[in-house]
Amino acid sequence: MNKASNDPITLEIIQNSLQATADEMFAAMRKAAMSSIIYEVLDMGTGIMNAKGQLASSGAGIPAFIGVLDKAVKVIVQKFDKPGDIEPGDVFVTNDPYHGGVTHLNDIVVAMPVFAGGRIIAWTANIAHNSDIGGMAPGSLSGEATEIFQEGLRLPAVKLIAKGEPIKPVFEIMKVNSRMPDFLEGDVWAAIASVRIGAKRLSELAEKYGVETFERAMASFMDFGEQVSLAELAKLPHGTFELSEEQDDGRIYNAKITISDKEFVVDLSDNPDQDVGPTNTSRDGVMVCAQMIFKSLTDPYSPCNEGSFRPIRLETREGSVFHAKEPAPIGFYFETEVRVYDLMWRCLARHVPERLAAGHFSSICGTFIGGTHPDTGRHYTIIEPQLGGWGASYGRDGNSAIFSGFHGETFNTPAEISEARNGLFVDRMELNTTPGGEGKWTGGHGIRLDYRIRVDGSFLTAGYTRSRILPWPLDDGREGSPNYVEVLRREGGSERYSFVSGLTVNKDDVIRVVTGAGGGIGDPKERDPERIREDIRNGFTTPERAREVYGFGD
Amino acid sequence: MASKTIRVATDVGGTFTDLVAFETEDGTGLPRIVTAKSDTTPPNFEEGVLKVLEKGGIDPASVDFLAHGTTVVINALTERKGVKVGLITTEGFRDTLEIARGNRPDFFNLHYEKPKPFVPRYLRRELPGRMSYKGAEMVPLDLSGLKPILDDFKADGVQAVAICFLHSYADPSHEQKALAEVRKLWPEVSAVASHQITREWREYERTNTAVLSAYVQPIAERYLSRLADGLKEKGFSKSPYIMQSNCGVDSLEAISKIPVTMVESGPASGIWGAAELGKLIGEPDVLALDIGGTTAKCALIEDGQVKIMTDYWIERDRTTAGYPIMVPVVDLVEIGNGGGSIAWVDDFGKLHVGPQSAGAVPGPAAYGRGGTEATTTDANLWLGRINRDYFCGGEVVADMAAAEKAIKAVGEKLGTNADEAARGIIRIANNNMVNALKLVSLNRGHDPRDFTLVAFGGGGGMHAVALAGELGVKKVVVPAAASVFSAWGMMMSDLRRDYFVTRLADLKPGAAKGIEAVFAEAEDRARRQFEAEGIPTGNVRFLRHGKFRYQNQEHTTEVLLDAGEITDDRLSAIEQSFHETYEREYTYRLDAPVEMVGIHLVASAEVGKLPITERKPTGASADTALKGTRKVDYALDGIHDAAIYDGEKLEPGMTFSGPAVVEDPGTTIVVHPGNRVKIDGYCNIHIELQG
Repeated sequence: MNKASNDPITLEIIQNSLQATADEMFAAMRKAAMSSIIYEVLDMGTGIMNAKGQLASSGAGIPAFIGVLDKAVKVIVQKFDKPGDIEPGDVFVTNDPYHGGVTHLNDIVVAMPVFAGGRIIAWTANIAHNSDIGGMAPGSLSGEATEIFQEGLRLPAVKLIAKGEPIKPVFEIMKVNSRMPDFLEGDVWAAIASVRIGAKRLSELAEKYGVETFERAMASFMDFGEQVSLAELAKLPHGTFELSEEQDDGRIYNAKITISDKEFVVDLSDNPDQDVGPTNTSRDGVMVCAQMIFKSLTDPYSPCNEGSFRPIRLETREGSVFHAKEPAPIGFYFETEVRVYDLMWRCLARHVPERLAAGHFSSICGTFIGGTHPDTGRHYTIIEPQLGGWGASYGRDGNSAIFSGFHGETFNTPAEISEARNGLFVDRMELNTTPGGEGKWTGGHGIRLDYRIRVDGSFLTAGYTRSRILPWPLDDGREGSPNYVEVLRREGGSERYSFVSGLTVNKDDVIRVVTGAGGGIGDPKERDPERIREDIRNGFTTPERAREVYGFGD
Repeated sequence: MASKTIRVATDVGGTFTDLVAFETEDGTGLPRIVTAKSDTTPPNFEEGVLKVLEKGGIDPASVDFLAHGTTVVINALTERKGVKVGLITTEGFRDTLEIARGNRPDFFNLHYEKPKPFVPRYLRRELPGRMSYKGAEMVPLDLSGLKPILDDFKADGVQAVAICFLHSYADPSHEQKALAEVRKLWPEVSAVASHQITREWREYERTNTAVLSAYVQPIAERYLSRLADGLKEKGFSKSPYIMQSNCGVDSLEAISKIPVTMVESGPASGIWGAAELGKLIGEPDVLALDIGGTTAKCALIEDGQVKIMTDYWIERDRTTAGYPIMVPVVDLVEIGNGGGSIAWVDDFGKLHVGPQSAGAVPGPAAYGRGGTEATTTDANLWLGRINRDYFCGGEVVADMAAAEKAIKAVGEKLGTNADEAARGIIRIANNNMVNALKLVSLNRGHDPRDFTLVAFGGGGGMHAVALAGELGVKKVVVPAAASVFSAWGMMMSDLRRDYFVTRLADLKPGAAKGIEAVFAEAEDRARRQFEAEGIPTGNVRFLRHGKFRYQNQEHTTEVLLDAGEITDDRLSAIEQSFHETYEREYTYRLDAPVEMVGIHLVASAEVGKLPITERKPTGASADTALKGTRKVDYALDGIHDAAIYDGEKLEPGMTFSGPAVVEDPGTTIVVHPGNRVKIDGYCNIHIELQG
């Protein structure tokens, strides 16, 4: 301890260390993980919470996992509220959206209390998508599920490690429920290693600067987050903005967003009843979406913590698709969340064009392929989101082949690794140049990815939206193009799907993933002819299409 | 026989070309060091090199060993000054270069802009032919389409051709055939195939590596050949050695073929110097820290070994994905924190230092060249750590009024005075560097307390003790001539090549033969290369590393294997050492099968290292080097009267204690209260922190 420890520089140094620790936890988990969805797709996040479970800092591969962990820790803190319930060395686990899990059962949250000076001063936690947690279908996700019980083992915020000693029965229950027990075990241990490293760093930090200084640093960090948000909120157009949008299945979603100096109110109460199937989301999940769009609108660069999100108020109706009631299934929650995220984005895009681009392909395009590896005889499961086209910005064409707004530091799987690991062939992986998204500035291109199956009796599960209702343009730009998956059978013929569960695919069948272009901005006739010439030269459009859409050569 | 040996390091930077010459008397081994500086002369960089030799009074004909470092490759890449490249790749994969990995690090920014590929789509062409991941041919290569592709390339003004086929790491024969055909059909064009640079998997990374290599190749080749010719004309009779990113040097001929391996050679020589110094003084576990004007770089050296990896990206940070180059590069962390880093206060009253730098112009406010923003150097001056009367070795009169004004402006925004603001700047700068040092130590499973901090570059000695204190490091060593330490490192480098090969194998009985074959094949390749350059095979030393993981994991852990043939009965010991390494890094181990993913072979040979002679203590007292005392503000350690020593007068065996400051023309070393200092037989300064 030194005398200068309460000055603003010390607080700043502690705050920097909170961020460095969340990043270190992230790096540790990524490197040790077993499943490619964790180490490659980075479908994971790490976070540091204060003793109450409020978010102080986070390390995340994807924005959708920034605001998840605080909600889980709050549930744990509430549940284990007796003296002695939580002890040094304990580690907790939850995956259930009805018990703090927020997302779906595949996403396991591991959380560890950090002790210093005889009390809990913080929590370290992480979340990651596990390859199989049991349930009615391989990979645990099935479009056929009608209850959460069919989606896998539920872990309702329970202790996993007591005073440093693993609780063997819990591990055994988890393993025996999984079709991929070794992956599950490896990934959970990676998660435990990560929270332990984080907890060690934080207790060292508190020891060095004193517990009270440490806690003050956390509190002032959150206040700082709030100040940044309020300062930016003041610059946004104030008023109430509304949008109704038809979905692929014909239902209508409604959003009403009111922005004032102090608040960002998202009203989603006027929306359809919850689904029979798994495309529901928890209210917490919708809150995460509101937080994401709010962060993009206000300040994408400053730290993200509880304070940053204080101005958000969310209204939902229990029993609706955006606030599912137990035991509704929610395996495909992400596709519903990406829809509501895009709904809020679209609702505001016309009013804040300098901060928001035109609509992107806006689907996780979750693709699950499994079977037996013909060379090793082992079972494999591919669980992957897909790349697609992003919408144009004012002044610039959209990006091609990037993961959706739900993802971030997410990496696709190289064909070379996929072929070795999964025992199928990647015949091609290229940009999708079908028409769509033209404008003064064009939307970026999606992809076309062909998987050729090598073993009979393999399966395909997929859930894509923006398959019928296309990515939206702005200011007379053209709509983007659709996302879908096509199965080309060995014996000829093909089938096209947006949602499919457990479809059998056999040797030499080709699963073709097709993702769409983003929306364009502005009248295509105003596009710079030099750019059109480049588009033609690069094969992104044909001279005929250029004449038709851009009036090129007229 | 010459009575002295002259070894020269030249270094071409963006602005200046530097020279450091070591003249060693044969017999005594005592070096005389000559330094010189000259302007860099693009695009005819060799002119600057010849000029700086002249300025330093070095006759190229008298030079025995010349090592050369250059930023030409990295500058050509970042300034986009390479040539037009055409890419030939596997059917179905022309867009790999543009799809890249699809990541968006700046994930809340909905206007993110993906890095543009170095080859536009119309110059990315495909050929049929397919290998499997095991290296078996599935579809034969069809070269009939190659001629029309090359005709198009010619018409479009392509100057270099890159070739990358799927799974060429497993079997490069398709690439070899295509490359031979390109050379036959178009002998003048510069051409490179991915397998010549890397034998590891991941097609985007490998394709981009081949493309960036092709992009700089004609420029680098021209530059290197002119350099060789220019030196020859002036009478230099040997072949120059070129610094690479893997901390070794390579022959000019070899590096001309794949010049992209020079990409990160700048920091590599200093880090290698720290490793060599550590071995020399019996401190093989080193944290190397190089603080320059705009950045600080750090790396960890364990048991004398630097860590070399192939996961290198340019232009990658928190806001952009960057571009991968799959070549062996020393594992280092670089942050925007140096002497010229600007201190600033954001809208919410938070103090930051860097990454913006005042550079050489206008430089820190105290340079008096119009700089109005406070930098780390200004804060160090203000606190008396740098001598205001001996600024930049006495070459610059410190403009203290300008420094005060700049620091006060920071203080006003923080609601405090200049002293507090200056201390804040130093503390934040130190914290940034502590975090960088943690990234290379704690984050990789190493406890910094087990390491010695070797600090160099102009600013290393100024901050090293404070950083060591934060990290619990017990000893700091500031090398003699710390400001030209990188050149010393270059003089100590071996001719070194790192071979990475992807090859999957389960670590179970029967696997040893296959694993041994991969190593043996790589060693043969290495021996042939060295032999072709006149290095006797007996002089080539090998280090074998295996890259292992638990089955189903992706990322590998590298384990150094004992010398000797890999046999089945050694496998369990190898597996054991993987478990141990893994557990140290990740805190747990698994009872799961272990697989090998590939090898990393290091081949090296000595090529004229600088001889080092240890001097006996002179018996002189440190008082003979004492210049006086002055008040120095040690931030958290208080304000003290510090003894000021003239670094040039320090001799082996001298000892003294902090608070003190050592002043050298190139650097200032801040010794905190309670530190004990000892000068070793090589004139390195050892600073022991209180336990």
